[in-house]
Amino acid sequence: MWRRSASFILDRSSNSPPMADTTQNPDAISAYYQTRAAHHGVITSDWLAQAQAAVEQPDSTHSGLGPNKSFNVIDEFNGWRKQPDLAEAVAAIRAMAAVIRASEATTMMELEIELKKASDTLKSWDKTSISLTAGCDLFIRYVTRTSALEYEDFNSAKSRLLERAEKFGEISCKARKIIAMLSQDFIFDGCTILVHGLSRVVLEVLKTAAQNNKLFRVLCTEGRPDGTGVLLSNELSKLDIPVKLLLDSAVAYSMDEVDMVFVGADGVVESGGIINMMGTYQIALVAHSMNKPVYVAAESYKFARLYPLDQKDMAPALRPIEFGVKIPAKVEVERSARDYTPPQYLTLLFTDLGVLSPSVVSDELIQLYL
Amino acid sequence: IYTKEFFLERLSYWAFVSAAQTLRPIKPPASHYLVFLFNSVSLSPEYSLSTSSPHRSPPSHSHRCRTCNRWCLSLLTSSGNVRLRDLKLQRDAPWSFLAVGAQLVAANPVELAVGNVVRRVLHIIREEDLSLATAAVAGLDLLDASDDDEDVNGKGIGYPGMSAAVVAAAARSTLRPPSLQTLLEGTPESATVPYTSSSGADSESKTADKSSITRKLKHDVIEGVNQLIHEIAGCHEQIAEQAIEHIHQNEVILTLGSSRTVLEFLCAAKEKKRSFRVFVAEGAPRYQGHLLAKELVARGLQTTVITDSAVFAMISRVNMVIIGAHAVMANGGVIGPVGVNMAALAAKKHAVPFVVLAGSHKLCPLYPHNPEVLLNELRSPSELLDFGEFSDCLDFGTGSGSPLLQVVNPTFDYVPPSLVSLFITDTGGHNPSYMYRLIADYYSADDLVM
Repeated sequence: MWRRSASFILDRSSNSPPMADTTQNPDAISAYYQTRAAHHGVITSDWLAQAQAAVEQPDSTHSGLGPNKSFNVIDEFNGWRKQPDLAEAVAAIRAMAAVIRASEATTMMELEIELKKASDTLKSWDKTSISLTAGCDLFIRYVTRTSALEYEDFNSAKSRLLERAEKFGEISCKARKIIAMLSQDFIFDGCTILVHGLSRVVLEVLKTAAQNNKLFRVLCTEGRPDGTGVLLSNELSKLDIPVKLLLDSAVAYSMDEVDMVFVGADGVVESGGIINMMGTYQIALVAHSMNKPVYVAAESYKFARLYPLDQKDMAPALRPIEFGVKIPAKVEVERSARDYTPPQYLTLLFTDLGVLSPSVVSDELIQLYL
Repeated sequence: IYTKEFFLERLSYWAFVSAAQTLRPIKPPASHYLVFLFNSVSLSPEYSLSTSSPHRSPPSHSHRCRTCNRWCLSLLTSSGNVRLRDLKLQRDAPWSFLAVGAQLVAANPVELAVGNVVRRVLHIIREEDLSLATAAVAGLDLLDASDDDEDVNGKGIGYPGMSAAVVAAAARSTLRPPSLQTLLEGTPESATVPYTSSSGADSESKTADKSSITRKLKHDVIEGVNQLIHEIAGCHEQIAEQAIEHIHQNEVILTLGSSRTVLEFLCAAKEKKRSFRVFVAEGAPRYQGHLLAKELVARGLQTTVITDSAVFAMISRVNMVIIGAHAVMANGGVIGPVGVNMAALAAKKHAVPFVVLAGSHKLCPLYPHNPEVLLNELRSPSELLDFGEFSDCLDFGTGSGSPLLQVVNPTFDYVPPSLVSLFITDTGGHNPSYMYRLIADYYSADDLVM
């Protein structure tokens, strides 16, 4: 009786006003996934045009704070996150450290207010990146808590904050090593691992397993449109790990010879589910129906205070998708870059806080945001 | 009947008691001896029905745990002037608690209860140490003020009140498993600093203070361990108290094998005048189900004995499946006697609640990877086949050197958490996904790998 209405006809006709507002990137393309694409070296024509446009119009897209300050933060952030090995949250914290360095505040309260403003700017500039939000929140929280215990003079407090922010970069690398160590027990000799997406953490896990002389093979999905499959297979063949490439649609076909699925995460949400590259939900569903474990490797600063109830519940993150041939103008393309995998399809999460089952995640978040 | 096991048990207990009565620290050879004894006690008594007296049931989990605990107690009381640091943390001192605990665990990794108890005691030691340290810093009468080291979070010592708060905050975070909030703070070592600042005993009062602290600590730890022993001994009554909430009138309960916890659970319900029937799956090849059936009948319960293969046939007539566990893993998975996975699958298919009874000493902080192989014990094929009849098939001397007939006799079975409906522990009834919470309460994160 209650069938879906054909509301998509109405939606289409009212879709003409642009979705992006001036504070966001033009074309509502998710900056986070653009950066990932840049890391992966996949350059599409759309992206090139956009880069051109961005170079030509320097600061018309930034919100009005004090043009100097916001320019600093966002530029700083962009500079940091171009580096392929650095995680998004770490880049955010480094940018905030730059704000502290450049600030002329004389009291703790003033510094906090400046940091809050900078964090809001960063967050509003790219609404789609979860680890950016999480990183900013974590840093603000930390600053607020240490300032409560403060009784010494301002300069030493400032220098300590700076030093902690710098150290956070090392934590990222350390976190990956811890995760790799924790997951070693779960990879046994002769196993077949299915990997989706190019996550640096998962790569570290597989590298460590190879260094420990474990014999296993990897099936990677092609990962359209980013082409992550080919990149991952490049990296793995350098380590002499047998790799097989699959089409994204061939996952169910090969699932019975798979022993476990390993994915990274762009963000871990409060319910214990993950947000990851498009296709992860599909793979988790197939794995669950065939009783294969799905393991997620994610650092702890990716935990975010979101609770999506379905796929459309998050801020839309769009990617340009190339089909290689011309598409008729009236045909729409589903351009979302990510999906949400509910916690009942995940088996375990490997984080630097230890091995967690999905129900532990909300507990951890409560501990942090008490 | 004086069997070998009987003597071994008496001997080991005597050794523990005598060690407890001496005041010298246990030297390395003695500790090896103790480990060997403990090992033999825990490993050997697999009483087979045919040989020894049938009324002597094999030592249960709680018995093994209590033995382990008594050993810990003896080690603590006997180690006269050994400082806490040696006692707890130094791996190189061969008689340190951690080292011997690691030896115990390595002796039989499949016996998870041993590791659990060792980790519980370590957690108790850490907790008492921490509370004593914060009390000492706050009180400032046990410790010299100048002893308080300078690297309490990089601050000076001008404000003792503040530093106590900092120490307490740092202490709270050391005890809990690493969480997001400790990420940016780095590792606070200040909690152990005021305690282990052993800058040469230059004054008499300092040494006297230190030894009094050590004595107080040992006293607290011994109290904690006593409490633990008490808890383990009383877990059956605590679990049985909850029976009345779960078993209702005219129900049919299915169980597999024999577990003392299940026996007391069912009898407690019977005493409260609930009338119900029990189906007991016999639990081949040890046939412990027969023992359980006999005990149940002795207490007046209507019992039916079925074969393991009949579980699926009978499950549609059953209201609830109750089993005891050998160990409960951190993800909520259960290690139980062989055959429980089958009962769990049958229960899932027919939507019958699958209830697991486990004392809190069975809760293991490890996550199982490949538990069917790594956490399993393969026993002798003689329980399945008679060597006399099958000697030609099982002969290693013929042909290529390996016999054509192989016999696999696993002791344990792994039940994944998705098949379990409820865990009943001495603290109450819990969801499988809640087990991690109990682990965070009972164990410290540093002790997971010993």
